[in-house]
Amino acid sequence: MELFDEFPSMGRKDLVGLKKGIDFAFRDFSRENGEAIEGFFDPLMYFMVWFEKLLMAAPWPIMILIFAVLAWLGARSIGIVIGTIVSFLAIGYFGMWEDTMATVAIISVATFLCIGLGIPLGILMSRSNRVQAGVTPVLDIMQTIPSFVYLIPVVMLLGIGKVPGLIAVCIYALPPIVRLTNLGIRLVDKEVLEAAEAFGSNYRQKLFDVQIPLALPNIFAGVNQTIMMALAMVVIASMIGVKGLGVPVLRAVSNQYLALGLMNGLAIVALAVIFDRVSQEYGKRLQKHRQGGHGV
Amino acid sequence: MNKLVKGLAAAGVAAAMSQGAVAACGDVTIAEMNWASAEFMANVDKIILEEGYGCTVELVPGATLTTFASMDTKGVPDIAPELWTQSVDVPLKAAIASGSLHKMNPKPILGAGEGWVVPSYTLENHPELKSVLDVIERPDLFPYNEDPTKGAFVGCPAGWGCQQINNNLFTAFDMEAKGWVLVDPGSAAGLDGAMAKAVQRGDDYFGYYWSPTAMMGKYNMQMLDFGVPFQGMDDWLACTTQAECADPQPTSWSVSEINTIATDSFMKNNDPKAAAYIKGREYPAAAMGAMLVYMADNQAGGEDAAIEFLVNHEDVWTQWVGVQAANLIKKSLN
Repeated sequence: MELFDEFPSMGRKDLVGLKKGIDFAFRDFSRENGEAIEGFFDPLMYFMVWFEKLLMAAPWPIMILIFAVLAWLGARSIGIVIGTIVSFLAIGYFGMWEDTMATVAIISVATFLCIGLGIPLGILMSRSNRVQAGVTPVLDIMQTIPSFVYLIPVVMLLGIGKVPGLIAVCIYALPPIVRLTNLGIRLVDKEVLEAAEAFGSNYRQKLFDVQIPLALPNIFAGVNQTIMMALAMVVIASMIGVKGLGVPVLRAVSNQYLALGLMNGLAIVALAVIFDRVSQEYGKRLQKHRQGGHGV
Repeated sequence: MNKLVKGLAAAGVAAAMSQGAVAACGDVTIAEMNWASAEFMANVDKIILEEGYGCTVELVPGATLTTFASMDTKGVPDIAPELWTQSVDVPLKAAIASGSLHKMNPKPILGAGEGWVVPSYTLENHPELKSVLDVIERPDLFPYNEDPTKGAFVGCPAGWGCQQINNNLFTAFDMEAKGWVLVDPGSAAGLDGAMAKAVQRGDDYFGYYWSPTAMMGKYNMQMLDFGVPFQGMDDWLACTTQAECADPQPTSWSVSEINTIATDSFMKNNDPKAAAYIKGREYPAAAMGAMLVYMADNQAGGEDAAIEFLVNHEDVWTQWVGVQAANLIKKSLN
């Protein structure tokens, strides 16, 4: 009967031994390879430091002008441009300019990194069912594992700062772009592909001239979700020493500074809404343009 | 009138007591703060109050400022076993004056304090570094990874009471001009991780930490003498701990005040013997240090550590409780 009442667990001593063993193994690994891994990421770190300094040092009117121009190029909507300008003016007026620039810096780098890794990976997944079967569970883990769990090894290996923060952000923000790229390409109509084949398209032409253009709405939905998730990780990244809007939020949380928390939280929301609208509009426009170009 | 009511209440409590000490203790909520020594103390208090005095104890997770705010405004939890009171000095004084909170025990842990630390091998390799004043002349020993021309001083995570103090001392010692960067580790995990990573690789490290902690023992960190005298509590409270401090002065860290704080309702509604136990328990530094390293080495939680402590350090805790309670607790451990 005892077997049914009590789960036949491993035993406290063995369990502690196992946990300690894993910890010591990782510690030895980080002792041996930590410096080399850090060295590998050094160029990325110096780029991020440079980019953040650039955004912070640039005069604010120029930065707002750049944001407005980017919003216009992306969205071609005067409403969104005005919204962008007003948001950034408000952010600056409430004294959050520097933190916001730090956040914009890490989010931009994270987004480009995720897109650069995610779209090729998504294309690879869409080509092969076996790759899809292997990658999907990894994406599930990346999206659901509590971020503090992977922060421990990342900090042990790389210390605190921008690179570990970037890795933490990308682990969470990468899956949507991979998933939606894969999905988008797989959803392209079989008949369209047959037509392309009938016209004598080779593999490359089918992929780059038919499948990816037709998958663009989904891919852009992925880009959009990646940006949103990266912004959602701003506060977590601040917990391992990344500068930005997350730091005052953490300060507010532990001190019950309602106004401070709310203002910085809303600044994150403002960034999110701007990035969201601009990237969505850009995605839509890109699709129209492609459709027009192909004379569909 | 008021006195009469209080007298009657006291008589009532006394009457209830005589009917059966065990039944009279009632419900107690104890703050289980989010660091090891407080977690451990909360669990020891829970076992002793439950087994020795018949209280029904619930542990409530918390952090210094959130728990204090809740105790101050809502009267829950009843007991904060290890509250570092300087970070809540002004509201705590007000609450004590109004009678809603009570300082129970000025020395729950002997030999505790905050300060600036370096690994002991840094001091061995550079015997000329005797105090903070010497260390801050050598930013080159502690390069900041994002800008190796500067030295990194790892301060306090955003939102902690000590963050402001570190900011002000950083200014007071003129460290920016000397080539230092004040790094915000962002969280306790970030602070510990930064220190653990540096020491495991044998790198020099300079930052804020406090004792008693497993981290200090495990990584053999040395707390530095500041090399300047303490400027006095008035200056400390009026300036060094305040964000608005215009011209902070170099000073050593104030001797930390740790206290066990209890609500008025705990004093009034629960067994006075339980309160007497809370007032009397003092953890010697050695016992506390041993328990913290035990927790870290075995990845033990507060509850495991509390049982380990009660089993192996009987000589310490039996002095805190009466013979009857001690026997009840010992019986429960078997």
